[in-house]
Amino acid sequence: MGKTGFVFDERYLQHQTFNGHPECAKRLTAIMDGLAGDGLLDDLVKIAAKPANQRWIETVHNIHYIMKFEEACLWGLPDFEHQDNSICRESYETALLAVGGVLKAIDAVMNDEVKNAFCAVRPPGHHAEANQAMGFCYFNNVAIGARYLQKQYDIEKVCIIDFDVHHGNGTQHIFDTDNSVFYYSIHEHPSFAYPGTGREFETGFSSGEGFTKNSPVLPGRGDEEYREKLLSDLVPAFKEFAPEAVLLSAGFDAHENDLMSGTNLSTEGYDFVNDTIFDLVRASTGGRVVSVLEGGYDLQILPVLVANHIRKLMAI
Amino acid sequence: MFVTEMMKTDLVAVNPETKLSEARSLMMEGDFRHLPVVDAEGKLVGIVTDRDMRDAHPSSLLDEESYQKTLDKVMQHTISEIMTAEPITVAPYYTLQDTLLIIGKKKVGALPVVDEEGQLKGIMSTRDLLRAFVNIMGIEEPGTLLCILVNEEPGQLKKIVDIAYEENVSLGSVLVARDWDTEKRAIFPYLLTNNVMSIKKKLLALGFELLDPMQWYLDQSPKKE
Repeated sequence: MGKTGFVFDERYLQHQTFNGHPECAKRLTAIMDGLAGDGLLDDLVKIAAKPANQRWIETVHNIHYIMKFEEACLWGLPDFEHQDNSICRESYETALLAVGGVLKAIDAVMNDEVKNAFCAVRPPGHHAEANQAMGFCYFNNVAIGARYLQKQYDIEKVCIIDFDVHHGNGTQHIFDTDNSVFYYSIHEHPSFAYPGTGREFETGFSSGEGFTKNSPVLPGRGDEEYREKLLSDLVPAFKEFAPEAVLLSAGFDAHENDLMSGTNLSTEGYDFVNDTIFDLVRASTGGRVVSVLEGGYDLQILPVLVANHIRKLMAI
Repeated sequence: MFVTEMMKTDLVAVNPETKLSEARSLMMEGDFRHLPVVDAEGKLVGIVTDRDMRDAHPSSLLDEESYQKTLDKVMQHTISEIMTAEPITVAPYYTLQDTLLIIGKKKVGALPVVDEEGQLKGIMSTRDLLRAFVNIMGIEEPGTLLCILVNEEPGQLKKIVDIAYEENVSLGSVLVARDWDTEKRAIFPYLLTNNVMSIKKKLLALGFELLDPMQWYLDQSPKKE
């Protein structure tokens, strides 16, 4: 059994959102308290985060967008591009540190210091488009991670599996025409849930055609449909693509206790998600996977689900 | 919403003397299913559909040589011979609702829009109608659909809108449906946000019931005896 790395930094708490905003610093303190209480924290290899160099952000995001975001924070504006995207003066630095945490985790995995890693970072990333902030996301942590794997470590084929309850529009669009990154997402059906994309017929464009796969799940159908669709959609597509590295957009907001969605996935349902994905990872990349926190807003169930996820990571 | 806001105005039109061959290539190039026919003054005199065009074609069962021979002959005919003269039209002040009902009732695929002088102003097709609905329902804007069960009494929607206002959230659209229970209504606000947590909490605190949309769907479906 290899070691599992863990990224967390006190500075992730400095991205303050408005009072009552679901994407709040308390999410991470709840996760840390939970992991400490379980005694899990001692078994993990701490990986120190470092702000990402801007050149890595630029592999995904437009330079004008990056500067606009930095400027909005410097001005002390309350939000960026939509009232959902609540910011403070420290948000830009924190977002750089979130990307940097993911890059450090990739380094640790690629240099065999750890077998796999979980990144407890915020702000989250999968809604962030190349030139637009959306749904609490500013820099697309996972997308930048995929480009980093390719450019820094000469990895050709990266698979991103996104099980946040919301479709990762940003990640999908960034790799729309790219056949070197396979994007799979399972999420609540876009007619009911944010951001309104991720329908089955969205499969990529031109040379990226067939390298995007979406499994929309109807409200209230979490346990049945996650089982069914992971087996029928993800498993065969993953095996056919045969990635060299896997990144996870790990969202814990599909849970029945989480008011942000209506899919009603149970705690056991999440175990099935973990098991299915980690079986694939074990067989293909020898267990190499970096999992990155996206959503998950119920402060009671979030730490439980993260701890379960990490336990399964450690058992790969 | 008036047809002038939704209709297509960059039109390609033909005149009654236009050869079928020319009209055919215009339709194929522009991916049009309807070609308006106008006279020298720009007045609408007819419409040609892809169906009219197909009817004028020789049978596809003919061997290639006879097919081509007949086709060459047919394509020399003029539009006036196959067009529908005096087609059903609408005026620019017609509404989206009007055109929906007319298209359904008259079973046409497109309605030319003409002014009082008979001048062609635009064409409103079922494709344009579909686009208008995508727009009206806000389908392409990021948001979250809530399903709320309310009592059939005045002022319920106001409470919901007030909460959205308090939370500084914009509404993409609101649909109201009769529920299976005659005392109830189902309200579906499409909120242009990912942040529905506090809105849901406030709705629950006011005693509203948040519906599982699938349960609603199943209860609404015709029951098998």
